[in-house]
Amino acid sequence: MQLLLKPFVLLGRGGVSFAAGIGRWGVLTADTFRALRHVDVWLRLLIPQMARVGVDSVPIALFIALFTGIVLALQASYTFTGAIPLYFVGVLVGKTMMLELGPVLTGLALSGRVGANIAAEIGTMRVTEQIDALETLAYPPLAYLVVPRALAGIIMFPVVTALAIGMGIVAGWITAIQLLDMSSADFFNGLTLFFLPFDVTYAMIKATSFGFIVTTIGCFFGFHTQGGAEGVGDSTTRAVVASSMAILVLNAFWAIVLL
Amino acid sequence: MNRSKEALVGVVIVAAILLVTFGTLWLQGVSLRATEVEVTAAFSSVGLIRPGNAVKYRGVRIGRIREIEVDQDGELVLVRARIQDDVRLPSDAVAILSPESLFGDWQMEIAPRDRFPAYRYSDPSEDDHLAGYSIPDISQLTATADRISADIEILTERVGIAFSEETALNVASLIENVEEVTQRLSQLITQQADAFVGVTAEIQETTHEIGEAAVGVRRTLDRVNEALARDEVGEALTDLVAMTSNLRALSEGIEGTSDQFRATAAQADSTFKRVGTILTAMEEGEGTLGRLLRDPAVASELEGTLQELQLLLEDVRLNPRRYLRLSIF
Repeated sequence: MQLLLKPFVLLGRGGVSFAAGIGRWGVLTADTFRALRHVDVWLRLLIPQMARVGVDSVPIALFIALFTGIVLALQASYTFTGAIPLYFVGVLVGKTMMLELGPVLTGLALSGRVGANIAAEIGTMRVTEQIDALETLAYPPLAYLVVPRALAGIIMFPVVTALAIGMGIVAGWITAIQLLDMSSADFFNGLTLFFLPFDVTYAMIKATSFGFIVTTIGCFFGFHTQGGAEGVGDSTTRAVVASSMAILVLNAFWAIVLL
Repeated sequence: MNRSKEALVGVVIVAAILLVTFGTLWLQGVSLRATEVEVTAAFSSVGLIRPGNAVKYRGVRIGRIREIEVDQDGELVLVRARIQDDVRLPSDAVAILSPESLFGDWQMEIAPRDRFPAYRYSDPSEDDHLAGYSIPDISQLTATADRISADIEILTERVGIAFSEETALNVASLIENVEEVTQRLSQLITQQADAFVGVTAEIQETTHEIGEAAVGVRRTLDRVNEALARDEVGEALTDLVAMTSNLRALSEGIEGTSDQFRATAAQADSTFKRVGTILTAMEEGEGTLGRLLRDPAVASELEGTLQELQLLLEDVRLNPRRYLRLSIF
């Protein structure tokens, strides 16, 4: 009988744990907003965190966007040949990079890089009791650890995403004129054909929300790290998985709400 | 380290901002060098046109759609576009919305009105707005064709239901009846044709006579014209005036004679009354004549007297000297 109930028990336990995790993440987020008042603590740490979260992530984001643009152009050409004019390659590359792949792929890449980095760093501080030391010294740990990272993610994710979108479009353009026997005029005609300024706004909204969710989830798992190095590794993995899932859920949410 | 990181962060942020700003402007077709003017066109509906779609003049892209809104009355849709200011539009320019390709992208074409005169252009409320017409897109045409197809399908089903074996027999009977009616109609038409031929001949004859009469009338009119030309009518009118004057004088004479006649009649009436009175008295035996008429003795005396008078006259004739003595001295 207990064997039969075990899956349900596990499912229930997992559900409760998930809900509790979301609740604790909500509490951490609320505390983080409250910690914004400690400007003197987090302001001097903001630029270094922006450099770590944003600038250091630019190469990987551009790398992903470069090959994404190439593949998009080639796949579009492969799909359209014989049925749809080739200038629609420009439409597809532009729209896809701006609305979907630019923000999402950048977010996923940064969730692996930035989210894992944050979770590992803060988790290590937790297991080595550095955070406890901060609290003992009456130093606000959220203002010191979470606020600068969250603000850096909110500011720099859109920046990195914008650069990635630009790189993807340029890569698609070069691919189109070099490999697809298209002219630049054809490609840019398609690129501008259905362009709306809202496309850029939509990408920036998504990137901003991804930056907030990735950094706060990384901080959350780091703060709740238990055990030694194994706990840090576990928190890092869970932070990456959770932030990736959160990105996909948010992506669907914004598509439902804004499109 | 901190300063270089700050600079690097700043450069990345500025690069991203510039990329987003200028990329958006460029993709929108906004030119930072060329000056543009705004053109507004009014349409009853705008199909699939959207902000950012091309504006063309004679096939050349000269601008983009900027804004689409319903006017205050809610009867027209105002489409605002920015076009190059060096493009001279015709004075009777109209705007036509049409698909740019088969894949859903639309355009606004500016053209002279007489290029597509059959289109029913909108009537813009303001003078500086272009009249517009939106060509139905392929989805509307397809929807219309689909409705027609559905109607035909329903009609076909109904015909299939209605066209049973009994209906076929009725139709065959109907065809036979129609054939019989046709034959009768043919006969009737033949008869009517014969009658028509007769009527036509009479009409021709009548027409001929009318023609001759017309010739006579024409001649008479010619003569009248000639008479008018020779002033004979004037003379006839003068004679008629004189004759009228004579008739008037005659009438006046007759009127005087009538007065005399009326006086004579009055005298005659008086005379007749007197005679009546005398005759009445004579009938009543008054006077000599009355007594002569009523009394036989008087009549016999008068007869005797007349006989004696006759004898006397004979005697006088025979013996005049007995009664007449003539002496000169």
